[in-house]
Amino acid sequence: MDVLSDLFLDYTLRTVALGSAALGIVSGALGAFAVLRRQALLGDAMSHAALPGVALAFLITGSRAPLVLMIGAALTGWLAAAAIVYIVRASRIKTDTAMALMLSVFFGAGLVVLTFIQRQPAAGKAGLDKFLFGQAAAMLESDVITMASVGAVGLLGVLVLWKEFKLLSFDPDFAATLGMPTRRLDMLLTSLLVIAIVVGLKTVGVVLMSAMVVAPGAAARQWTNRLGVMVTLAALFGAAAGVLGALLSTTAQTSTGPTIVLVATGLVLVSLLFAPTRGLVWTRMHALRSQRVLALEAVMSDLAALAAQHSSDATRPHDVAALHAVRGRALVDRALSELAADGLAQRHDGGGWSLTPRGLAEADRLARLRRAPSEYL
Amino acid sequence: MDLDVPQGVLMAIVGPNGAGKTTLLRTVLGLLRPAAGEVRIFGRPYAEQRRLVAYVPQRGSVDWDFPTTALDIVTMGTYGGLGWVRRPGSSERSRATAALAQVGMQAYADRQISQLSGGQQQRVFLARALVQDAQVYLMDEPFQGVDATTERAIVDLLRSLRADGKTVVAVHHDLQTVAEYFDQVTLLNVRRIASGPVGTVFTDENLRLTYGGRVAGIGGRTNGTGPEAHL
Repeated sequence: MDVLSDLFLDYTLRTVALGSAALGIVSGALGAFAVLRRQALLGDAMSHAALPGVALAFLITGSRAPLVLMIGAALTGWLAAAAIVYIVRASRIKTDTAMALMLSVFFGAGLVVLTFIQRQPAAGKAGLDKFLFGQAAAMLESDVITMASVGAVGLLGVLVLWKEFKLLSFDPDFAATLGMPTRRLDMLLTSLLVIAIVVGLKTVGVVLMSAMVVAPGAAARQWTNRLGVMVTLAALFGAAAGVLGALLSTTAQTSTGPTIVLVATGLVLVSLLFAPTRGLVWTRMHALRSQRVLALEAVMSDLAALAAQHSSDATRPHDVAALHAVRGRALVDRALSELAADGLAQRHDGGGWSLTPRGLAEADRLARLRRAPSEYL
Repeated sequence: MDLDVPQGVLMAIVGPNGAGKTTLLRTVLGLLRPAAGEVRIFGRPYAEQRRLVAYVPQRGSVDWDFPTTALDIVTMGTYGGLGWVRRPGSSERSRATAALAQVGMQAYADRQISQLSGGQQQRVFLARALVQDAQVYLMDEPFQGVDATTERAIVDLLRSLRADGKTVVAVHHDLQTVAEYFDQVTLLNVRRIASGPVGTVFTDENLRLTYGGRVAGIGGRTNGTGPEAHL
């Protein structure tokens, strides 16, 4: 409760929460497209590649203004993406190799420049190393305003070109035959993803920022089959992970990036397990239910076959020992008690079983269904 | 290679794997740049006539787990006429619904596309092309891996397109059905072996030239002598 009341009273916490919400919304919404376009690793490469941009921007301008550092980060992040595309197109190197290559080259260069800056006596150098793992506690109002405005540009781009980006993500070849400039659209959407990444860079850090791009989208995909709902949900999940993670890290004094990522991972885990239709628990339960229904039908058809051998009295009791032997005792007994509960089978005095008249009719219907399924479709 | 497709016919493009069938379609559609030569639709460059051409890609070319519905996919066929930024409205959706009905899929409009069978997915792609209301339909293996119901539906659709004076060019694999489903055929194996009415062109001799003998090595790039496709 303390954190919750502080959220509204404490200026620092409020700033942190607002900023993290903004970054979560932007990276979640744009990350959803990256997830659908299988560009999760591109996001990782670009966020690592943003580090030299931050360091160089500071080195050249001497300014630590958030917008200046963001522009630097966006430039090198974007450059890395362009380099990856170029390498794949111009050589025989595959995409994953090109991405790993650019990620390490740019990140390595960033670390070199960063250590160079650290050795300078100049004032104001402190803080750049925070870009590695992120720090929410140091967030200022000016940071939040910059993050929100830059992020708004990214969101606006998605809203305006919604149908273009949707078609580009689903079927780029078809988009091209409609006359859409797919290569430029692709570049634009990637640039918007760069925007999403640089918005969160200072808070989450270059090392783990890609998780904020991927995790909300991956979690959101589990809950819906509509693109609009998925992108909205991803934005909400991103905001939730951002705010929760940032507040936790501020109160527990842990690194913000890792904390946010842990929260986001929790959301993914819950979604993977419990989402209806796609969740693992749901699919497992669905499979179990199908197995149970199949067992019921099998035992019913067994009993019907036994009854057919004694056509004089279809409901006379039969010993189920043979069924036990063939299908397994546990399965048969469970099926029998369920059939009895549904009034389809009955247990006679002396332990024998038979179908009820209703059960016989049902078994007959199922048998005909099996013989000529098309009639019932 | 030269290829002329007369107006108002159903033409099959037939040839072994790697013959360049898909490459030919993709080149006509401007998805691949021709090494040389040009594509003309009704006598004018493709770029000017884009609206008159609809494309049905191979079913396997997209991710069917994309979060969207059958109706939404078909609505994508209207995007070309909408221009930038504008979103599809109720008139676009009703056109898409009508196209779905035309391929017998109206009951599946709200289905998530991964929950459709292969044949149903193929019909969704066909409906998307129908919505484009084009004059020329280029189809990449529309019959591949579909059930009998879908095969029937596609054949009916092809015939109704021809009855409306539309032109269909389809990559086709099943030599048995070429004569039944199509009235023109192009035999392709890197170069054009033969092209014309099924009755005169679809001969044992030409098929031997297409499928027999050497296996073509390169991936079917149209090359050298100036490929031209007049549709």
